[in-house]
Amino acid sequence: MSAEDQILAIGRQLAGNLPRSASPGERVDARLLQIVAGDPALRAALFRFTDVRPACTSVADLGQHLVTLLEDASPASRMGRAMLALARPRATRPLAALGAGGGVQRLAHRFIIGRSVDRALPALARSWDAGVAASVDLLGEASVSDEEAEAYVGRCAEALHALASGSASWPARPVLEADSLGPLPRANLSVKVTALTPEIRVEEPRRGIEDALERLRHLLRLGHRLGAHVHVDMETLDSRETVLGLVLEVLSEPEFRDGPSAGLVLQAYLRDSPAELDQILSWVDEHERRVPLTIRLVKGAYWDHEVIEARQHGWEPPVFTDRGECDRNFEGLTRTLVQAHPRVRLALGSHNLRSIAHGIACVRARGLQERDLELQVLRGLGDDLAHALARMGLRVRVYSPVGDLLEGMAYLVRRMLENTANDSFLAARSRGAPLEELLAAP
Amino acid sequence: MSDDFVNEQHLELRRADVRDALLAAGEALREALPQRVPILVGGDARHGQELVSVDPGLPARIVALAPSATEADVDAAVAAAAAGRSEWAERTPVERARVLRGAAALLRERRLELAALASYECAKPWAEADADVCEAIDFLEYYARRALELDRDGMLGQPPGERNTMRYLPRGMVAVIAPWNFPLAIPTGMVAGALAPGNAVILKPAPQAPACAHAVVSALLQAGVPAAALALLPGGDQPGAALVRHPGVEAIAFTGSAKAGSEIVRAAAETPTGASHVKRVVAEMGGKNCVIVDSDADLDEAVPAIVRSAFVYAGQKCSAAARVLAHEQVFDALASRLAGAVGTLRVGQAQELGVDVPPLIDAEAQQRVASYIERGAREGAVRAQVASHPGAGGGFFAPPTLLGELPAASPLLNEEIFGPVLTVEPVADIAAACDIVDGLPFGLTGGLFSRNPATVRHVVGRSPVGNLYVNREITGAMVGRQPFGGNRMSGTGAKAGGPDYLLEFCRARVVCENTTRHGLVV
Repeated sequence: MSAEDQILAIGRQLAGNLPRSASPGERVDARLLQIVAGDPALRAALFRFTDVRPACTSVADLGQHLVTLLEDASPASRMGRAMLALARPRATRPLAALGAGGGVQRLAHRFIIGRSVDRALPALARSWDAGVAASVDLLGEASVSDEEAEAYVGRCAEALHALASGSASWPARPVLEADSLGPLPRANLSVKVTALTPEIRVEEPRRGIEDALERLRHLLRLGHRLGAHVHVDMETLDSRETVLGLVLEVLSEPEFRDGPSAGLVLQAYLRDSPAELDQILSWVDEHERRVPLTIRLVKGAYWDHEVIEARQHGWEPPVFTDRGECDRNFEGLTRTLVQAHPRVRLALGSHNLRSIAHGIACVRARGLQERDLELQVLRGLGDDLAHALARMGLRVRVYSPVGDLLEGMAYLVRRMLENTANDSFLAARSRGAPLEELLAAP
Repeated sequence: MSDDFVNEQHLELRRADVRDALLAAGEALREALPQRVPILVGGDARHGQELVSVDPGLPARIVALAPSATEADVDAAVAAAAAGRSEWAERTPVERARVLRGAAALLRERRLELAALASYECAKPWAEADADVCEAIDFLEYYARRALELDRDGMLGQPPGERNTMRYLPRGMVAVIAPWNFPLAIPTGMVAGALAPGNAVILKPAPQAPACAHAVVSALLQAGVPAAALALLPGGDQPGAALVRHPGVEAIAFTGSAKAGSEIVRAAAETPTGASHVKRVVAEMGGKNCVIVDSDADLDEAVPAIVRSAFVYAGQKCSAAARVLAHEQVFDALASRLAGAVGTLRVGQAQELGVDVPPLIDAEAQQRVASYIERGAREGAVRAQVASHPGAGGGFFAPPTLLGELPAASPLLNEEIFGPVLTVEPVADIAAACDIVDGLPFGLTGGLFSRNPATVRHVVGRSPVGNLYVNREITGAMVGRQPFGGNRMSGTGAKAGGPDYLLEFCRARVVCENTTRHGLVV
């Protein structure tokens, strides 16, 4: 069987494990997203409404925002016009406000697992039972002061404690707890550097690195002591050099040679990501670690931001603007990372069946075990996929944000953007694109 | 020539190789200091060293030595220009545009070196210094194109038998009195705006920044502006005042303080016996720029944007944020987050990457800002302050400061400080905030953070400012994108970098010709 046929076969098997028909609630969601994706004015108004939702202090305030945003947008679709018709009259405005506000809440609940790690633990335990691991992310975007950065570190430390103690009594799940290189922690926390330091300066990465070093050390020490995995997220290109520099610098310290398990993120939408991977792999070659570095390969969640920022400055966008090019790069990086085993551990973060199938095929072709590949999806977007992967005996981890609505809004808006982008894999799938098309080589 | 205007790309400082190149340019320039800046009149250069510009971060370092122009130099410059300026005025608009764009190309070739010069002469941090060079290039490219568009017909009614034309002619002799805070961009903008429609220009730069002005003038001369049409008179107030009074000067373009600007307007209004014209004054003056933060604002965005608006380049921008008016519902959260953010600012040398707040321009500014801060601390409360740079070299550093609880009449709330000082106060609602803004004599820039389109419309309708920024920083206007200029006591309303700016330097002449002969259109 050719490599391409392998990928198709795995893809079909994956698709076969997905639920055949969506639940009624999911069908409604899918239909709504389709309408929203097809009405740019309504999409913009709802984004703006979602964005301002946590800052509204009363139903009247909420209603006032809803009606002005919808009026400004003058949406074309029937749904948009119906929403406006409901929101305009004073008598029905509270109803519209509560409906739309509730919609945001529902959406938030879909993407955010709980207000705190403690409250999220039952849901995390249920997933674990079903063969799905998690990486917890504490919502809240950039810290603007030392106080906020310290508070974030405090929340991370609490989360590590809660995850470590909360997961101790979970039943054994061998697929989730070890690969051929050794044991894998149950507690897994994703950390954002922009929250660790208010001193990220694009023109001087050293500043943010120096300010964040001690805070990250603190979390790594704790992770080591508790046997937890600490994963450092990647955000926009403006902070990439800081994040990469920080992680590699701190993990170079002798103190962390023996642990904890730690990781970073590579964004395939960046045109220079192959060079970045070379840089990471040469660092890996020069720094022996008892627990290999985990690299989470993703496409990247800040595409719109990167393109807009570049266009405003007249720069060449640092990201691929063609979906196919980005997907091909993702596959190229996957191959390099699979080749790099056992120097690094690979986690593929994607909802694209083709990308996942390609990753699995690469692992098989190299003669590795399937448990040497981790698959990651986002809560709220990849839940079905997570269970399908688990049913196939693969290791899957769900990126699970924790926090309140206010902290989560920026995250939520990013996810909605992703979910309603016309060229996204998810949009194609929810449109009912044929499987051959979804699995075709990019 | 008709290709569309595009802003010069800022350096992508997030790339390490770009930063390295800039730092290397900085070192090379530093090695070559001091520069010698002459008085340039009609192609003659006269050197001297009465005027000394220094590195504000290390005043022992001399950046440039120049002569200080006298009234005699002013007379000579006006006379030389009067004799030779027709050469420039008589060139076609296309030829003049080519020269201006040639000057842009010369600046572009020297981008890194010029950024380094602005950095050393005026303590511009790298990103700001680079933006200054880019803006200078933008002005040349933009006005070159606008001048061509001025020269087009099509605006007037043309019934049979009548040929109507309107042509924009240069005013003649324009004196440009420039500030130091955008030492390349603002002189370039005012000079290019006056040159583009065919005026002769005498540039009197700020005494703190002669070398930057010299770089601009050199590029224009090298690109082909005739020596008679462009003079450089480094110096202080004396040549400036002489230019304003000079009967041969027909228009004055000024950017600086409200006090100096008002003085220029007054002096220029006098038409001595024998005067052949009423002087036109284009003045860009100070501001007391307020940022309104509504209860529904996104504070995660507002806090960093306000801090950048207030403290980048130590607040020494006319557009800088000075006063935050926060809805009482979010006041506590905003004020404490602002205080925390101000606390993270790094004061240091402009040439050090990662420095947020560089030194002030000179000792006088340092003194002025210190006395404002001292008064603010007495009348209100210091909510945050970063210790000033230890400054072993005696740099003119000032501590970034956030003040609150000031009485409404406090000068801290009403006067332009032009330093790293920000105040924050609660307001009952947006209308109250608009009342405060309306009560100020200035009208330059303003900011609003709100996510309600109705509020945005309301503030847009009520705001007196020339440039209102919604949900973003209030500094960093781009040529051709945010034409810049203030109302009220902030200026005469000209919009630099905008489609109408050149008209400030023109007079229009309409010609109506009867094209009939014996009742027939021939």
